[in-house]
Amino acid sequence: MSDATTSAPRARRFKVSRQLLPYLLSLPALLTCIGILIPFLTAVWYSLQRYRLSQPWNRGFNWGQNYLNFMTDSAFWNTLKVSMTYAFATVALELLLGLGIALLLQKRNRFNNFVSIMLLMPLMTAPALASLMWKLMTNPGFGILSYFATLLGFEDFRWASDPKTAMMTVVIVDIWVYTPFIMILLLAGLRSLPKQPFEAAALDGVPRPFVFWRITLPMLTPFLLTATLFRVIESIQQFDIIYAMTQGGPGDKLTVFQVEAYLNFFQSTNVGRSAALLMILWAITYTLSNIFIKNWLRLREKQRGNA
Amino acid sequence: METVNPIERVLRGVAITLVILFFMFPILWIVLMSFQTNETILRMPPSVVFTPTIENYQALITGKLETSAGILEIAFMKNLFNSFFLSTASVAIGLVLGVPAAYAFARLKFKGSEDIAFTLLSFRFAPPLLVLLPLTIYFQQLGLANTYGGLIWVYQLIVLPLILWIVRGYFEDIPADVEYAYRIAGHSWGATFRKIALPLAGPGIAAAALLAFIFAWNNFVFALVLASADKQPVTVGALAFVTASGIQYGQIAAGIVLSIAPTFALALYAQRYLVEGLSLGAVKG
Amino acid sequence: MSKKEKQLAEAFVAGKIGRRELIKGMSALGVTAATAGVLVNAAATQALAQNGFDWKKHDGTSIKLLLNKHPYTDAMIANLENFKVLTGMDVQYDVFPEDVYFDKVTAALSSGSSEYDAFMTGAYMTWTYGPAGWCDDLNEYISDASKTNPDYNWEDVLEGVRKSCAWNGRPGGALGSDDAKQWCIPLAYEQNNLTYNKRIFDANGLAVPTNLDELLGTAAAAKSAMNGGYGIGVRGSRSWATIHPGFLSGYTNFGQVDLNVGADGKLTAAMNTDVSKQFHSKWVQMIQESGAPDWSTHTWYQVGTDVGAGKSAMMFDADILGYFMNGAGNAEAGNLAFSAFKANPDAAAPTPNIWIWSMSMSSFSKQKDAAWYFLQWATGPEHDLFGAREMDLVNPARSSVWADEMFRNKLSNSYSGYVEMHDVSAPGASIKFTAQPLFFDLTTEWAATLQKMVAKEVPVDEGLDMLAESVNRQLNEAGL
Repeated sequence: MSDATTSAPRARRFKVSRQLLPYLLSLPALLTCIGILIPFLTAVWYSLQRYRLSQPWNRGFNWGQNYLNFMTDSAFWNTLKVSMTYAFATVALELLLGLGIALLLQKRNRFNNFVSIMLLMPLMTAPALASLMWKLMTNPGFGILSYFATLLGFEDFRWASDPKTAMMTVVIVDIWVYTPFIMILLLAGLRSLPKQPFEAAALDGVPRPFVFWRITLPMLTPFLLTATLFRVIESIQQFDIIYAMTQGGPGDKLTVFQVEAYLNFFQSTNVGRSAALLMILWAITYTLSNIFIKNWLRLREKQRGNA
Repeated sequence: METVNPIERVLRGVAITLVILFFMFPILWIVLMSFQTNETILRMPPSVVFTPTIENYQALITGKLETSAGILEIAFMKNLFNSFFLSTASVAIGLVLGVPAAYAFARLKFKGSEDIAFTLLSFRFAPPLLVLLPLTIYFQQLGLANTYGGLIWVYQLIVLPLILWIVRGYFEDIPADVEYAYRIAGHSWGATFRKIALPLAGPGIAAAALLAFIFAWNNFVFALVLASADKQPVTVGALAFVTASGIQYGQIAAGIVLSIAPTFALALYAQRYLVEGLSLGAVKG
Repeated sequence: MSKKEKQLAEAFVAGKIGRRELIKGMSALGVTAATAGVLVNAAATQALAQNGFDWKKHDGTSIKLLLNKHPYTDAMIANLENFKVLTGMDVQYDVFPEDVYFDKVTAALSSGSSEYDAFMTGAYMTWTYGPAGWCDDLNEYISDASKTNPDYNWEDVLEGVRKSCAWNGRPGGALGSDDAKQWCIPLAYEQNNLTYNKRIFDANGLAVPTNLDELLGTAAAAKSAMNGGYGIGVRGSRSWATIHPGFLSGYTNFGQVDLNVGADGKLTAAMNTDVSKQFHSKWVQMIQESGAPDWSTHTWYQVGTDVGAGKSAMMFDADILGYFMNGAGNAEAGNLAFSAFKANPDAAAPTPNIWIWSMSMSSFSKQKDAAWYFLQWATGPEHDLFGAREMDLVNPARSSVWADEMFRNKLSNSYSGYVEMHDVSAPGASIKFTAQPLFFDLTTEWAATLQKMVAKEVPVDEGLDMLAESVNRQLNEAGL
């Protein structure tokens, strides 16, 4: 081996670039993404304008009037409420379900391994297409799920077309599509946990609920946070499922941010309002993620301290 | 592992059966639909009794759809290829860019590292719709519109943050001692990264790559807006079966089956990394 | 062309064999459907080539189109070879699914892309595209004899349809006024009328309803007679598309309008009059009693699918939707029949609101004169006749095509009542909305209000007053 001869000059070079190395490694990624800041800032600029594509003569800077309008706009507050409800309901239920499934499949064997991969299938179905299929399956008459509902005694169950059950229906579809995402991340996490604490606990005869709450859950928290973080970001920005299932209806029951912004942009071509709406969505996402990441880092530090 | 009492076994069995039912039934139903035409799909009440036909698959694969109005050309296989190409290329580039960066954030604590890491993640916060209009305008001016290169760049916004944050966690889980010992023996950072860190974090990288691949595969708004018809992915292509003479549910179902198949094959192949290999416990000792 | 192909084509032109046999025979010889269409129409193209117009002026130019996946597009592509031969031009095209088509158009045009020279659009959309400066006034081309061939015969296009595609750009300005700009030219159009299932009607002794009250009665009777189906299909999703078909056609028949245009040009909401409230009450009652249980998610394709599968007894929607649902691949193929519908018993004639698939020229095109060659061909009498006879280019927008016996017979043979329906309602067919930039905002809100009324979340009177108030506020904010 020529290790001895080549490593000497390498070590010298390494000394020179030691300070630079982390930047060299991370900057390409940053530079690749940084380009998006230009359209982003342009969009911020749009959000401060009275800007409707169908009235070009009316375009002009209006000093945040778009944002001020939201204060008195009941449609906006409804959007905020609906988006938050949707995000909270989906993420909470998916976390519980995803954790439960991961625990069920924790043991390594062929069956569990195969099931965990098989359960990824809903995630592989594009939400826009999955929703079309769900819409058919919940169709009164042709729909198999409506048929099952009738068999179970729910006559005339109307799923997404009834204002009372519309939210529940889209949440179910979201759970179907995205729980596998959480499940696979948590499963990976569970299986990577060190064995000693569990073996020690088993030796000492510690009751299993205690093991779960005091050992498993705390050690799994970083994985839970990562999964939650990505799900929150996506869930609060949900569009495909809701638009394909109900277009935001019935009434204003499901007019989440992206549906409103989409209609504002593509149909009404009200670029100013659309951009302002999305900026608020961005701000909410940014704040929530910040909180998550702070906790994530703190936990990481703590864990490493313990290790 | 620990002994399990029979009641718990039964409960576990019931639970896993329910889970499989809920998640797999719609898939099964889609597969069944893919072997039917609207005449049997749209029945009241729905039924599982039908004569299967491979018409839908035939139409998708040969690209020729026979309708009452003549033979229509469909570009589904081209869409499938586009999806495959765009997702694979995006994930490959995402890995090349993201894995070293993830390593830097995990191992080499440096000034501003957390800020840069958060900034990278925050690119994922921007709702796609927000940047869509400016993006189309700039793409037009830069000549990136309607190029695979432009699309792959935009797809980095989907795959890079995901890869970065998941892989970072795995790098952090590798005990620093292992790497330190190797470096002490006179090896460079580069060699340590390649020979120690990469293999140990392999499963995490595989998991991140697979998830990134799925998210890239499922996206459609960017390709729709930024590229012409010959570069559209399956997600857009399958919508072509919502036709003036009704939704061709059978073909959409067949389209979904064909579009899940490659990803599923990939996941099965990566299985050992994903669910078996994700055991850093051994290393942690 | 081989001798065998020629013989087949001649046999077809002479009426010895049908179109399907022709295509079958041709594909046995290795000729695709598209080429077969070309052969059929080659004679007509030759006649066109000899009308003294300089068709070869843009020989060698290549243009690109943005098209929606639709039978009209299929008809255009089937005949495209003839255009290429006629002009020596090349035509590229991008076809996108209807679900995402207008998103693509908006994105392409708002970014100022010069990729597409011409594109397919609906007339409502040009109320955005025109004022935004994305499409050109085509009057300049139509009236220029050096650019338009002498056989184009613009006056042949049905007046209501032609004028519905023209607007002066002033909010509230009448469609087709003297100062109007021709933002687009119709390929074909759809009227909103009744499509009913003759089998169900005959089996239960139901008569075709002739006004709104009868419609409610018949729908209820049909629902109770059917096992698990429902009486009447109308759209109900939270979208402008819920307002524009049957709903607005019936609404207009009672003399109602969406907006009033004041003497000062200001727009105000007009949907909370007493007559309007009565109409809304009946409409809402009709859906509650005998509409689809999942009405609030119904777009055109659920409405069509249900009538085609025999789940609904009738629909008040686009006539061409009924036309397609009466074709092969649907359970009720051949059972559907058509009738013009006059919601108001006191009205003189039906007043169907219409949807017009048409062609526009992109303002960003770098070869507009060449693009116009394509537009005048695609909307001209020769292609219109070909599409109507051989493909599914219904309803053709030209009166000369409606006078064509071959086309009328084709319809009458398999689409019961279609020709009569069209003849009765075509004179009153036009766009009934007030053209203005908030069209999509206001109609979407209107649909959402209807949904709340049907779900009994708000009484009709109150809902309409609230809607009118909100509409007035938005108009005011937009300076209209």
